[in-house]
Amino acid sequence: MTKISAKNVNVFYGSKQALFDVSLDIMDKEVTALIGPSGCGKSTFLRCLNRMNDVIDICKVEGSIKMDELELNSRKLDVVRLRENVGMVFQKPNPFPKTIYENVSYGPTIHGMAQSKSELDQIVEMSLKKAALWEEVKDRLDEIGTGLSGGQQQRLCIARAISVSPEVILMDEPCSALDPIATAQIEELIDDLKKEHTIVIVTHSMSQAARVSQKTGFFHLGKLIEFGDTEKIFKNPDNQQTQDYITGRFG
Amino acid sequence: MNEAKRKLLNKRYRAEANFKLFGQIAIGLALLFLAVFMYKIFSKGYTAFQKTWIVTEVHYDKELMLIETDNPSLEDLENADYYEIAYKAMTRLDPSLPEEDDRQLIQMVAFTYEQEVKNHLLKNPSLLGKIVPIRLTASDDLDQVHKGNYPRDIPEEDRRVNDYQLKIYDMLNERGDILSKFNLSFFTNPDSREAELAGIASSFMGTVFSILVCLAFSFPIAVLAAIYLEEFAPKNKFTDFIEVNINNLAAVPSIVFGLLGLGVLLAVFNLPRSTPLVGGITLSLMTLPTIIIAARASLKAVPPSIREAALAMGASNMQTTMHHTVPLSMPGTLSGTIIGLAQALGETAPLILIGMVAFVNTIPGTPVDPAASLPVQIYIWSESAERGFVEKVSACIMVLLGFLILMNLAAQIIRHKFERKWN
Repeated sequence: MTKISAKNVNVFYGSKQALFDVSLDIMDKEVTALIGPSGCGKSTFLRCLNRMNDVIDICKVEGSIKMDELELNSRKLDVVRLRENVGMVFQKPNPFPKTIYENVSYGPTIHGMAQSKSELDQIVEMSLKKAALWEEVKDRLDEIGTGLSGGQQQRLCIARAISVSPEVILMDEPCSALDPIATAQIEELIDDLKKEHTIVIVTHSMSQAARVSQKTGFFHLGKLIEFGDTEKIFKNPDNQQTQDYITGRFG
Repeated sequence: MNEAKRKLLNKRYRAEANFKLFGQIAIGLALLFLAVFMYKIFSKGYTAFQKTWIVTEVHYDKELMLIETDNPSLEDLENADYYEIAYKAMTRLDPSLPEEDDRQLIQMVAFTYEQEVKNHLLKNPSLLGKIVPIRLTASDDLDQVHKGNYPRDIPEEDRRVNDYQLKIYDMLNERGDILSKFNLSFFTNPDSREAELAGIASSFMGTVFSILVCLAFSFPIAVLAAIYLEEFAPKNKFTDFIEVNINNLAAVPSIVFGLLGLGVLLAVFNLPRSTPLVGGITLSLMTLPTIIIAARASLKAVPPSIREAALAMGASNMQTTMHHTVPLSMPGTLSGTIIGLAQALGETAPLILIGMVAFVNTIPGTPVDPAASLPVQIYIWSESAERGFVEKVSACIMVLLGFLILMNLAAQIIRHKFERKWN
């Protein structure tokens, strides 16, 4: 089932065009990986999916992006409600400089998801468990989140993202600042999360894309060169550029 | 390594050594100036914290005080006549002095001696009818003589203390009847034309009220302006224009703000002249750009990743700002605010223009009472001819410096303790 359907998406930063006619379908409860060399537009596309490009004044998005029946690229869209449904994990772990508990409880609190303290406690515990962090932090929930190790911080950010039970989670190179062990933990986590969430992940690591995703899209110079099943993209791509990139001949 | 290369290398080392030397000389000079300045102020000013009294005896004689009842109430004592007994308390220092020269003795104490005699009795009503020792504030000239600030070897006609008074002084001093103790009244008295009575209470309170008014006006306005400009305003030509003007405002000479206060606050709004309310508002015009700039800088220093994290969680712009950005920027904003207030603390020119230079011999109880301020007090006293005011000027500078050091220390502590370091 299609969760998100993008049609002819063009993105401009001022007069510079960053994305050219990108169309792709993201399937529900699957991991979709976006790969490509730096500056190819994959992060820009990802940020269209939760309207984070709104933050950039000069950024203009054209085309249609539908999530279920909802048009995301519409002026009338309530971005606050959209972001409640589409969580995001960033490249550099960015927990709030507050306690671990406050980091995870922030989303449910501002969206009024818990009626009582015990309900909130439950959400925090569940989210931390899902993010495979509970065992490590359950005795120090009132410590500052930024005091954790890099990998723990990133899992805290994942816990924060899933605390509001979003249907879609966007991940922008979530492992690029982490060591291989922390990376393996996050990848394992992504595998678990796809049971309940649709995941779109931007990554520089082709092996990571191959390991975690079901669909892969290859971007180059703002264009979506090829999109399809991960296995096919990595074993038998249709396009010569894709072939070159995957085999490491450029990028 | 060939010869040319070695030469070049030596030259580079020499250049570095020279550069270091110049830097050290610069620091040395700066410290030297500071030391000279501090020495000047402290060596001149420390004597102001000592006060001189003359000890004599007073006879609380009911008859001379014109008290007719046997058991006078406090009210009777309040209304009694003290002129005669106070006068006698002074003239008894030298009974041999012919009556027409009595003024010479009276001049040795502050003109408030009669009041001091009265207050002493009101505090201890049981002294009525007794002969008791009493200490009276010495005149500023005698005070200066006692502190050694007044040269005794200049010709008598050029001296404000004549030979006879010096003789009495020496006699009293030998008897141990000249007292010198901590000058509490310097801190509790308002300004006075008489140096021995002048204190900083009115100007200190004036400064405190001005700073509070200044804080109350400038902080909320500046912080709101900074938050709006930094977090909400669209970035366009108009906001650029505003930014340039805020920076310009910070560079406007303070006297211009004084004129504005005079022309607008006093002339148009008819606020009470010479009051800390007007002074504070005028100073807040000066402090405003400083706080806006500091607040914007510390808002800018909050990394965008925190804003993105909050926005991506579905927080509105307002929530992102109020829950995350503003709390994280507060330490920087606060220390900027204190620095701004410390600047305002030392301002003189705008306060002179709005009339806070008036002679105020009452201690203000509210921001709408007339008051002076510490820097203006320094200015007023430095204009006075009496020798007694010279040490007061330095002492007042010391108090002002102490105030400034405390505020800057507070700013430093806030910055170091609460400001987050982003890596």
